[in-house]
Amino acid sequence: MTSTDQTSDPSDASEPSSAGTTGSGPSALRMVDVRKVYRSGDDEVVALDCDRLIVDPGEIVALVGPSGSGKTTLCSIAGGLLQATEGVVEVDGRDITDLSPSELTDFRRTAVGFVFQTVNLVPFLTARENLLVVDELGGRRNRDGRKAKERADQLLEELGLTDRAGNLPAALSGGQRQRVAIGRALMNDPALVLFDEPTSALDSKLGDQVVRLIRDEMKARGTSSIIVTHDDRITHYADRTVHIEDGRIAS
Amino acid sequence: MFLAFNEIRRGPVRFSLLALAIGLLLFLVLFQQAIQNGLITSFVGALRNQSAPVIVYSLDGQRTLQGSTISEEVEASIRSVDGIDAAARVDQATFTVRVDDETSDASILGTEDPSLGRPAELSGGRAPEAEGEAIGSDTDFAVGDEVTVVAGGDADPITIEVVGVARDVQLSVEPTLFTDLATYEAAVRAVNPRAPTVPVNAIFVRPADGVDPSELADRINEAAPDADAVTREVAADTAPGVAQVRQSFQIIFALYAMVVPLVTGLFFLIITLQKARSLTLLRAMGARTGTLAGALVTQVVAVTVAGIVAGVGLYALVTGGAQIGGLTLRFDPTLVAVWAAGFLLLAVVGSLASLRRVLRIDPIDATTGPGT
Amino acid sequence: MKLALKELRRRPGRFIAATAVLTVLAVLLMFLGGLLDGLLAGSTGAYRAQRAELIVYSSTARESLIRSRVDAALRDAVDATDGVEATGGLGTVQLGARPGDDPESRDLISIALLGYELAPRGLPDEPPAEGEVIADSTLEAEGIEEGDTLLLGPARREVTVTGFVDDTGYSGQISLWGSLDTWRSVTADNRPDRTFADDAVAALVVRVDGDASEVADRIDGATDGATNTLTIDEAIEALPGVSQQRSTFNQIIGVTAAIALVVVGLFFALITVERTSLYGILKAIGASSATLFGGVLLQAVLLALLASALGSLAALGLDALIPPGSLPFDITPSRLTTNVALMVVAAVAGCAFSLRRVLRIDPAAAIGAAS
Repeated sequence: MTSTDQTSDPSDASEPSSAGTTGSGPSALRMVDVRKVYRSGDDEVVALDCDRLIVDPGEIVALVGPSGSGKTTLCSIAGGLLQATEGVVEVDGRDITDLSPSELTDFRRTAVGFVFQTVNLVPFLTARENLLVVDELGGRRNRDGRKAKERADQLLEELGLTDRAGNLPAALSGGQRQRVAIGRALMNDPALVLFDEPTSALDSKLGDQVVRLIRDEMKARGTSSIIVTHDDRITHYADRTVHIEDGRIAS
Repeated sequence: MFLAFNEIRRGPVRFSLLALAIGLLLFLVLFQQAIQNGLITSFVGALRNQSAPVIVYSLDGQRTLQGSTISEEVEASIRSVDGIDAAARVDQATFTVRVDDETSDASILGTEDPSLGRPAELSGGRAPEAEGEAIGSDTDFAVGDEVTVVAGGDADPITIEVVGVARDVQLSVEPTLFTDLATYEAAVRAVNPRAPTVPVNAIFVRPADGVDPSELADRINEAAPDADAVTREVAADTAPGVAQVRQSFQIIFALYAMVVPLVTGLFFLIITLQKARSLTLLRAMGARTGTLAGALVTQVVAVTVAGIVAGVGLYALVTGGAQIGGLTLRFDPTLVAVWAAGFLLLAVVGSLASLRRVLRIDPIDATTGPGT
Repeated sequence: MKLALKELRRRPGRFIAATAVLTVLAVLLMFLGGLLDGLLAGSTGAYRAQRAELIVYSSTARESLIRSRVDAALRDAVDATDGVEATGGLGTVQLGARPGDDPESRDLISIALLGYELAPRGLPDEPPAEGEVIADSTLEAEGIEEGDTLLLGPARREVTVTGFVDDTGYSGQISLWGSLDTWRSVTADNRPDRTFADDAVAALVVRVDGDASEVADRIDGATDGATNTLTIDEAIEALPGVSQQRSTFNQIIGVTAAIALVVVGLFFALITVERTSLYGILKAIGASSATLFGGVLLQAVLLALLASALGSLAALGLDALIPPGSLPFDITPSRLTTNVALMVVAAVAGCAFSLRRVLRIDPAAAIGAAS
């Protein structure tokens, strides 16, 4: 299953290394024997074939691989955007393998955060409103307006965006937009945040800032994250790196 | 044009909806034109399509035959006017009649001169040759029908035989019969045996050779101030209700016509703005402005034509001899051509804003694309 | 939902064009409805004003007041019928009227003179004296005031207008209400072929005690089929032109509402395409399709309401511009409500075209998607 590779790290990359984990409790993510297969006629495309991937609470995992390697598929399945063809997927101890689409929607709203590569924010909402939108999508029963507003303001402060809270995305710089996206991802206090190339559109100084911000925020909250990236700085700050190629995880 | 039709194929729902909107609008306009024409014809077809160029009412008749009464003196004044070839007494009223076993209203018009006041053209049968025979409106009667005028009191009913039929000759939206004066008077007496003399409702006049009908009408009005002489066209156009029907429909058409450029303009403006980036890219890759503008115009024309076809199709379906509330709706090709051309023009005008946008695209913008 | 509202507020531009089109359609609906209501009101006012339940025509009249004749014997039979509380004679004649001070005028006013016994709403219980009439208020548009005289018909019979009453039009004519004697004598002078004896009338309006249709049947039975008795509502439907106008206009109104539906559908279909990536992200962070589509519906309904409001205002303005008497036009609150409801229903139905696309937007496409 696992093969030794060039890295000098002898440990099994699909398991968390003993160093660097801060949380306790159920794994943030547990994927076992997960396969995603696309069939068209007689052809079969295996987008993902993952024997075992476990992310501990509070762990930062960097996911590295060439394009088309299945990174996106893995993140989509982990985040409840896509259902696996086979296998077991558990997030924060909860089995999401066989949830219905509407259950998955609720799951995403309450348990997971996303930071996408480019378009993240609702263009006609201010920074603050972009954070609050998650709460508003919760429907009447699940909403908690005041607490959400407090949390939003607190996050904005931590992210250094308090004086930008009333700006529309068009009036924010690329780095500021990314920070707003991170804030939104954290609004529902998720067990797992999925980042898709968070620094690819940023210059080196900004990129550095964002990377550090991610690490500080994740560690402070004990939130696990999977970061898809090419950026060496991230692999440097991450607790471990997982390599993926042709749908399979190498170590 | 590759670009134009490719985009249509990629988004069939959108373009079909636009075509549908245009089609419905065209259908409504044509349909209402048909109603308007049908209504007016049912009101005054008898007047418009009969053989006398000039009709003389009494002023008090307010351009209705039934309300008009020509006294002997007025008749004498009328007949004394220069330039008359022939003048005939004409009477008209509504009666209750029975054909086979069905009872209904019918308008009976009796004239003392067969060449004045009867339908100018027949669509079937022959002209009456004897008393008791009549020409009927072809939407209500068939050749050979025996029409019984329902009698009142203790009188005997009389029967009129329909020997000929004509198109578009109704009066006041009723089945109409054209017969001679003697038969008409017999009908009046059948309903009201104690009626005194039957008054003359109108005089129908044919001008002499070379005399203009409206001039003759003016002369008659001067000679007999109590008379109201008009040409048959004016009689039809100014009959009570007709002007109102026209006026109302004009406003309605204007409003519908306004919707067309708004809807097409809106549609094409939105999709042009949506694909602004792709258009800029194409220009950067070397597509000429004329090509892009041509693609837009092609789409406008294609969608509008599709809508026109749909609208005309619906109109053809509905006017296939259909009767709505007693009105015959007719398919009028001239009308279709005029309105179809009009809609096409309106649609193109509506899309001018989008055209302007396309023309203003600067290929350099492809290099400085917006980031998010 | 707040999301949908915020979009409307922050990005009004894209919605303005659609609202403009919908407003024109709303004006159309109001104009069509107002025209229909005006035409109907002008035709049926005289009957709707009646404070009675039935109207008795002679059976040969084919439900037309103009052709009906009820003589004294027939009337007695009706009066004697069980359930008949009171009967009142009614008669009409349609003539051209000239202003009293211009007997040779060539511009005639179309009037219908109606003689009554049982007073309709708005008219005095005791009919006006011989030679006096109370006119429908539409006569004022012709410049006639209280106290003015009119010369009726070719015989130029003089009547004096002693007052006005609202909404009593008959067959699109301006009605003049007087006593049965006034009506009979004016008719005799102008229409010698249609005289009525002193105790004959054209029709009877009947106040009943009990179920109206039962009494109607009883009356026709008592007269051995010589009468045809209708409820006032039935008689209104039988007035010339009423049912055809209604059905024709309603068809046109229906198709116009269908156009509004298509326009809304079109517009939101376009907008939804543009929002694909936005919806993808929202779905990814946990918005259900129901929430997103609910936002679309909300926007559509708000646009429809706004367009209806603007259209109604424009129609009211149009109403003020149209000189009274030139076009029959009547804006009623119930027509306004109906049209607003039509627009809203059309808007909601129009959104159906976007439903499939909203449902099909795949949140997984948001990851790794370039904007």
